[in-house]
Amino acid sequence: MPQTELLETALEEARAAGYIGRNVLGSGFDVDVLLHRGAGAYICGEETALLTSLEGYRGEPRLKPPFPAVKGLYGKPTVVNNVETLATLPHIVRNGPDWFAAMGTPTGKGTRVWCMSGHVNRPGNYELEMGTPIRELIYEHGGGIWKGRSLKAFQPGGASMMVLLPEHLDVGLDFDAIAKAGSMAGAGAMMVMDETTCIVDVARRLVKFFEHESCGKCTPCREGTYWMANLFDRIEFGEGKPGDPDLLLDMGYNIDGRSFCPLGDASTWFPRSVIKYFRDEFEQHIVEKACPFRGEREAVA
Amino acid sequence: MAVVTDQVTLTVDGQSVTVAKGTLILDAAKKLGIEIPIFCSHPKMEPVAVCRMCLVEVEKMPKLQPACAVYVMDGMVVRTRTEQVQRYQNGVLEFLLANHPLDCPICDKGGECPLQDQTYTYGPGASRYDFPKKHFDKAVPLSDKILLDRERCVLCWRCTRFSAEISGERELALIQRGKDTIIGTFNDQPARSEYQGNWTEICPVGALTSRQYRFISRPWDLDRTATICPGCSMGCNVHADARHNRLGRFQARENLAVDDGWLCDFGRYSFPSFQREGIERPRVRRDGRLEEVSYEEAMAAAAQSLRRAGPATAGWASPAATNEELFLFQRLLREVLATPHLDHGRGRGEAATALEPDDAALPIADLERCDHVLLLGGQAVIDAAPVLHLRLFKSERKGVRVHRVDDARAALEAVPAEAQAVGIVSSLGRKPEVDSLQGKLARKVKGSVRRLLVPDGPNGRGATDLGFGPGRGPGYASLDGKAGRARPDWEAAGVRALYLFEASPLHDFQASGEEREWIQRLETVVLQRPRPSPLDDLAHVILPGRAFVEKAGTVTNMEGRVQRIRPAIDAAVVRDDWKILQGVAQALGADWRYRDPDEVFADLSRAVPAYRADRIGERALWSERA
Repeated sequence: MPQTELLETALEEARAAGYIGRNVLGSGFDVDVLLHRGAGAYICGEETALLTSLEGYRGEPRLKPPFPAVKGLYGKPTVVNNVETLATLPHIVRNGPDWFAAMGTPTGKGTRVWCMSGHVNRPGNYELEMGTPIRELIYEHGGGIWKGRSLKAFQPGGASMMVLLPEHLDVGLDFDAIAKAGSMAGAGAMMVMDETTCIVDVARRLVKFFEHESCGKCTPCREGTYWMANLFDRIEFGEGKPGDPDLLLDMGYNIDGRSFCPLGDASTWFPRSVIKYFRDEFEQHIVEKACPFRGEREAVA
Repeated sequence: MAVVTDQVTLTVDGQSVTVAKGTLILDAAKKLGIEIPIFCSHPKMEPVAVCRMCLVEVEKMPKLQPACAVYVMDGMVVRTRTEQVQRYQNGVLEFLLANHPLDCPICDKGGECPLQDQTYTYGPGASRYDFPKKHFDKAVPLSDKILLDRERCVLCWRCTRFSAEISGERELALIQRGKDTIIGTFNDQPARSEYQGNWTEICPVGALTSRQYRFISRPWDLDRTATICPGCSMGCNVHADARHNRLGRFQARENLAVDDGWLCDFGRYSFPSFQREGIERPRVRRDGRLEEVSYEEAMAAAAQSLRRAGPATAGWASPAATNEELFLFQRLLREVLATPHLDHGRGRGEAATALEPDDAALPIADLERCDHVLLLGGQAVIDAAPVLHLRLFKSERKGVRVHRVDDARAALEAVPAEAQAVGIVSSLGRKPEVDSLQGKLARKVKGSVRRLLVPDGPNGRGATDLGFGPGRGPGYASLDGKAGRARPDWEAAGVRALYLFEASPLHDFQASGEEREWIQRLETVVLQRPRPSPLDDLAHVILPGRAFVEKAGTVTNMEGRVQRIRPAIDAAVVRDDWKILQGVAQALGADWRYRDPDEVFADLSRAVPAYRADRIGERALWSERA
């Protein structure tokens, strides 16, 4: 069943049970939940772009301040919550905060759903206690790297997060620990790459994604992601120039922290991290004028 | 206890500056003479911080901050020229130029282009972008006035924001997204705005250009003259830019009290009407044919014929003539020819309503300070002075209630009794209605009620102030029973000679067929005009004069502001109109010895003390009239 239908059904049930709508459970309090479908633009995950889009305008982030809590949807104070937060709430309400806080680490309590994709035997969604070692997620729950291969790298928090290596497998799945390791837990989307993966190609595809999703509002993101995508294309396809990795790092300097919203900033994090760890692969592409993984490459999720 | 003030003190590049709360970093720096480069920021529009050119370091803030959108705070420490900022400025300009066509050599904006200037000041010498550039449509006609070059566009949003925030028409919008983003109109329909020329002026690159000015000149080859727009009685301040003694364009010359920095397209693109297409010689009709003669012969011939008609002469002046010309012309008619028949109304059927000083009691800029404004007549009033719309829209955005009404009763009802400051804006033709409405409103509301009437022509106001009409002398002086007749009554009054002074093709005599037949029967028709006129066939003497952009003098706008016009074009041997009027008067025996328009103005001031030479640029002071 499509997610929207599922949610609509749940809302109808809640309405029928008197949990939402007029006079909730006889309390005299009115509250309703309206489901609004987005059209898939990545930028509309940015909270102010989401509000602008809800109002019917182009999905573009707004200047902050004012923050949504002061001036949000239709200019009214607005709280913007993730689905993740909303999904956790009923359990905390049902079982109490102590139950929730008893799980996880001192700085990261409770559980989190990790959405694992890529070269593992069992990709899927896994809800784990915060602080669970990454090794457990990939090797126990995910059944290890597919086809008997070994792990090359993984991206712990979604399309923009910095790459991590096998040496980071014992890092715990919580915000602080992953940040300390040099990446971010972000949205909890774990992408796993095996040894046959061309890391340049992964970065190329991710940068192309950001180029495609850039709203075009600000210069660094609009022009920078386009330029970076061009550079990655030529490196991957054997036309790279010796200065290209450094040029990419310099573009990171001119985009990250300079863009209007985090989309542009984040487009530079993965590429810069792979240049840090895998510069030799970039150089191999450039010197050999071809992708060294060609032929053995498998599709990345 | 700390003293609470509205001022904050910060330092920019080591210099301390105190500014009002709510000031942007950009403006605080400007106060110190520190320039922070910008593209998207515009003083009359809300900050959007999209171009990212103005990023600066602010202590205690980890990221560079957009100076155009961050407000100052007490104790803030701003640095605009650090190594980080300069390296980033190189970077953002490299981004902006990566897909810019760099066709400066054939771009109209080249030489006055912020992108070009800032690239030289803050940018890298060379680009590392070595891919083929993105291509977009070039020279896309947005309308019959404007071309859009989508390759040059840097997506600063100034034009779209003008369309939303300044004119309120929302005709321009962003289309597509990311690297494919473009500017355009809905469904590529032609833009219909009456304010499109402003888009070209606020565009920080050569993306939006005027079709009329296309490839006319490099900006550094233009001779720039500060003058007034001849389009209507708004009196917008313009730069008349000419190349090789030909007009190339009008550009706004911001006067916050009048035009707020904007022009309408009717005025901006009116300049071809004033383009001189050659030098004409005076002509006198002999045996039914017009023969070229010298100015002296022509003026003598005019004088001879006018002397015969004397008090049976009528004089008509265009409401585009200068105050100096109008003053001399009324002296010529009243003092030398002893005729009372003066008028400046266009079209014979026009009711002879005369303005009063109080019709300018509401200054244009004060519209923003009213709480209710009645636009009696709606769009018809705006059509007569289009820039008024921008002021009214601005006022509305500031909270002024603007009522666009067509009848006085609805107008009266629209304004509540507790109104503090009410303005009525209408056209001269509706003066009786406005007067009665103002009376009723004054009784209804607590606060003040003032009116602003839009006269015809760039100097309709001056023509009335200087007594160029049948009912009142200069400065509204009584004529002691010697009032003349208005243009519709001249035939009945036995007028035998006509002296027509057409100062502008936009504000000419406009004779009806019936009126032409009457003129044809007159014994003398003297026609003084800047360019060939439909009345040439009927004239006995033609005295070529100068166009609005070819002469010096003053004109008075709708709110009574006396402003200087200056010659942008050297009309060479074509005689100045005031000299022609003086020449005819001298030929009729008058002892006039004015040497320049300033001397005429000095005399005019004596007759009309509200006009003062030391207050040119200000509104005439009628309250001191007593």
